[in-house]
Amino acid sequence: MGALLGSLADKRIAVVVGSGGVGKTSLSAAIALSRAMDGGRVLVCTIDPARRLASALGLASLGNTEARIPDEAFARAGLAPKGDLHAMMLDVKRTWDDLVARHAPDAATRDRILGNRIYQQVSGALAGSQEYMAMEKLYELSTERDYDLIVLDTPPTTHALDFLEAPDRILDFVGNETARKLFAPAIGAGRFGARLLQVGTGYVAKTLSRFTGSDVLHDVGEFLGQFQGMYDGFKERASAVRTLLTRPEVGFVLVASPSPLSVDEALYFHDHLRAAGMPVAGSVANRVTPDLWPFPGALPGPERLGDALGQAGVAGFEGSQGGDLSTRLLRTLAENQTFAHADARELGRLRRGASGSHVAVPQLEGDVHDLAGLAALAGHL
Amino acid sequence: MSGSDFLDRRLVVVTGKGGVGKSTVAASLATLAARRGKKVLVAEVDARERVAPMLGGRPSGPVVRQVLPNISTVNVDPRHALEEYALMVVKVRAIYQAVFENRVVRFFLRAVPSLAETLMLGKILHEARSESGGRPRWDLVIVDAPATGHAVQLLGVPKALIDTVPAGPLRRDAEWMQALLTDPAKTSVVLVSLPEEMPVSETVELDAQVRDLLRIPRGPVFVNAMPDERFTPGELERLRGLVETPPPVGPAARAAVLQGGRQERAEEQVARLREALGRPLVTLPLLASERWGRRAVERIADAMEGRI
Repeated sequence: MGALLGSLADKRIAVVVGSGGVGKTSLSAAIALSRAMDGGRVLVCTIDPARRLASALGLASLGNTEARIPDEAFARAGLAPKGDLHAMMLDVKRTWDDLVARHAPDAATRDRILGNRIYQQVSGALAGSQEYMAMEKLYELSTERDYDLIVLDTPPTTHALDFLEAPDRILDFVGNETARKLFAPAIGAGRFGARLLQVGTGYVAKTLSRFTGSDVLHDVGEFLGQFQGMYDGFKERASAVRTLLTRPEVGFVLVASPSPLSVDEALYFHDHLRAAGMPVAGSVANRVTPDLWPFPGALPGPERLGDALGQAGVAGFEGSQGGDLSTRLLRTLAENQTFAHADARELGRLRRGASGSHVAVPQLEGDVHDLAGLAALAGHL
Repeated sequence: MSGSDFLDRRLVVVTGKGGVGKSTVAASLATLAARRGKKVLVAEVDARERVAPMLGGRPSGPVVRQVLPNISTVNVDPRHALEEYALMVVKVRAIYQAVFENRVVRFFLRAVPSLAETLMLGKILHEARSESGGRPRWDLVIVDAPATGHAVQLLGVPKALIDTVPAGPLRRDAEWMQALLTDPAKTSVVLVSLPEEMPVSETVELDAQVRDLLRIPRGPVFVNAMPDERFTPGELERLRGLVETPPPVGPAARAAVLQGGRQERAEEQVARLREALGRPLVTLPLLASERWGRRAVERIADAMEGRI
């Protein structure tokens, strides 16, 4: 077992984080698969809407509920897991709706909230909403199911702090007393405009409505009013999620590609996780260019390589000239080394800056597109 | 599509999946336009600024700043865009401060459907149509737009507002914005991709969204970081048998086999993209440089020369 899988061995939850396009989804699946191979009952929860992972796992598609990976899929890949592997896809809007349904005092309130335009904005597109719901779903799964390990593949966040701050930020707004007073409409009475002018801050609302139109203000007021009764429930739950994430049974896994921006982001994330008391299990540098010339001394010249090629019996390639070939080979090797050195520099920064175990996954031939590929990937972790 | 035609537009929006090199393409297009004597503004959207540093300058922040003789940059963020716009509406700074600097109002504004996007897009489009002394302030405004999903959200804002907001100032703004965005003589969306499976799939989806949903005129699709075809299949076949030989032959053979494999997979993906889009692609070379700077941008601009 590799270093990263080792530091996840006693964890019940693994949260895989990093910037977009670094391979979080495949790595999450590989981590999950590895524990299932060892006998665990495992769930991987992804946000990747691409069918790729689903088909890699031998499923037609992933839904909002857990699906067990069929035995035949493992058999086809020549794998015989001792445990079992489940997968699902996070549906952000659905998770919000479920959460509202859970906390709404009655069906009428629930339906009014679900139909409110501001709610649709908050649940759909507001920055941080995805992250908030990813954490919410994780909490639900970890408290209501009995998996040995849940691996959460997180959304590619543009602002790393969204995971930690989004719930508070969103709840601060929906539960804000001043906001409620400011926008509180005479619910259902359609007397919004009149009411606004009565409150001390009337000109604020007046100016705003010139800006957005009064319909929007009305929606906000209605939304805040309806949310009032549910606020405490939401707040309590968000705080429980936060507490869960600081427990030792949780391990965050930072994923980065060996590029300056990606490593910056991983380190930024690392520092904030630590500051928030959340356990970092380790980091993965993904798609690292291999160092093909780890020898003392510079790369050979074309003549030396030409001679060596001759000795290896390949002086006369069909359709190419030996001298030309060694020039191209050397150029290719030199370029590889340029990439390898740049990658190594970034890898070093990640290792120095992040705590926990570190693994580097070399650039693999092609994309991972089946269970066998995931198993091979797990071999590097 | 002849070269000068394309950069004769007023507004070019660059987007694509995260990490495909949108900023590089934006900076290279700006370089190319500047070479053709155009005065260019590159606008980034609430980003960690990359274009100005790539061109050798300091980040410009929310205020337009000149980086090179014909190239200026700006990083549009919702807060400053709001301030500018709100001041145009309410005129008096004291009122602006009392209303918009209020913490609760800030929360509120974040929840208003797409307000941040409207303001940022409004600011950029305002630059694209602004004039001074009877001629356009910029010959070309290039938007280094956010990644796929966010870009669609950003560019879809005017239409969404026209569909939902009743007559008023917001709607009037939405109408001129939409007219500018959909004018093929003035605007074009450029997609950037990589010759890899996921980026290609996302580009195909994004192209359909731009066509069917946003209805913004589409320009060239760039495929970044394309490895060149360096070894013949016969050579690679022989080299594969040599990867275990001692140095220098083994490592050199391995580097070649890796390059060849990457090139072959890239070629497959480019073919897939070309077939799905049904129009020519502009491939840009994979550069072996340790850091991205002005030199790399100039080389990419060279590669674009004569192809757009």
